[in-house]
Amino acid sequence: MSEHLLRVDWPACKAHGVCAELLPEVISLDEWGYPIVHEPVKGDVLALARTTVKACPTLALRLTQPPPRHA
Amino acid sequence: MTADIAVQSAARNDVGLIPKVSEGPALLAGIAQGPGLVSHRDRLGPAPRPRAEALVEMAGDVDLRGRGGAGFPFAIKLAAAARRRAVVVVNASEGEPASHKDATLMTCAPHVVLDGAAAVAHALGTREVHIVVPSELPSLRLIVEKALRERAKAGERLKVELHGAQPWFVAGQAQAVLQLLAGRENLPVTAWKPEAVSGHRGRPTLLSNAETFAHLGHLARVGSAGYATHGTADEPGTTLLTLRGDGWDPEVREVAFGTPLTDVLSEAEMAQPLLLGGYHGTWLRSSQLNGLAVSRKDIAAAGASIGAGVLLPLAEGWCPLVRTAALVDYLAGQSAGRCGPCRNGLPAMAEALRDLVHRGGPAGRVEELCGLVTRRGACAHPDGTARLVASMLARFPDEVDSHALGICRGNRREVFA
Repeated sequence: MSEHLLRVDWPACKAHGVCAELLPEVISLDEWGYPIVHEPVKGDVLALARTTVKACPTLALRLTQPPPRHA
Repeated sequence: MTADIAVQSAARNDVGLIPKVSEGPALLAGIAQGPGLVSHRDRLGPAPRPRAEALVEMAGDVDLRGRGGAGFPFAIKLAAAARRRAVVVVNASEGEPASHKDATLMTCAPHVVLDGAAAVAHALGTREVHIVVPSELPSLRLIVEKALRERAKAGERLKVELHGAQPWFVAGQAQAVLQLLAGRENLPVTAWKPEAVSGHRGRPTLLSNAETFAHLGHLARVGSAGYATHGTADEPGTTLLTLRGDGWDPEVREVAFGTPLTDVLSEAEMAQPLLLGGYHGTWLRSSQLNGLAVSRKDIAAAGASIGAGVLLPLAEGWCPLVRTAALVDYLAGQSAGRCGPCRNGLPAMAEALRDLVHRGGPAGRVEELCGLVTRRGACAHPDGTARLVASMLARFPDEVDSHALGICRGNRREVFA
């Protein structure tokens, strides 16, 4: 219900790595420093995720609702 | 009677190919009479103008799928656009160098595509149509311009704008096309909303492949029952295929769904591995080709996808691993370089694959990189490249093992260890 997806605007992301510092529960970095989002955001982590979205130096993160499934 | 006509388009990309084309059962019927509007109308009569609901219903009846590669059900797309008075975009950019079906269609039968575009525009209540053509084929653009002049003279009131797509692989991707239309660089960006909701300059947009529009025009003319005279009960209609699109004897064919693969490929080609779906496609072993038909369902059951209809049988004497490594080299070079995982991951994958193929390196690193790039870009270029590589690992484990021992089993018997 209150599940959100953390989506990366890949062309905007410049691998600052701030997101993985602020939200290690959900994000780790790949070998080049770009975020790997491991799971949807829910519960207590949501507020942290909002902070992380705001803290991204290139504004490359967004919280979205999961899209409705197509048949 | 079938007539072989060389497509009048000049060199395609850097490969310089002129595909062979023959008359087909539906879209490519009557191409021997030339691409003019008069012969087109003489043969088929005026183009009907069904209402949006009727068009959606027909597209649903025959399960028409987009022909750009993803195979999305067109009825759903059209219904979404019909609710919003969408702008129409015909995508004939065909960025894949091994595909020539859209260029062939636009060159040999432009009015078949334009009838479809006009039918959709009319059904959506819009007059704005954009057509995206490859900028490296100026002769194709001239043919389309001439076709549009003929239609305007015959009284068609559409506002059509032509756009030249850049000659790179990702130029035809939907978001890259929308960027081009907006006057920006012809490269993919992140889509936060589907283009049916927010597309060209933020307006609802119906963007589809040129062949899809051609099928829609044909469907509007002959109706669901007429459309289903070709193909199977499950999969009505026909599809365009490009055979050996980057080889020495390229050919574009229109075949009915359900056509056995043996009707399309030679005996020698049936005995070779097949790369199905183009450079973003999937390898099949020759043993998997027996009994296979040109059918989305059959091909899906074999673990592949027909994509945009590109069939690349491996040339005799070649090793599928060497071929894949060469393709991934090319694909890595075609990264727009905007998304970090693609910019870094694809060259790394090309390197790891070279290492595996030519120096007997580990497959584990290649697999790891496939996972690292998938779903991590604005467009599906990294995903498609990873799919190609993953299918190589899955289909040719013996070849991978022999390469690890320093033996390549291509006819050239290259031993490099």
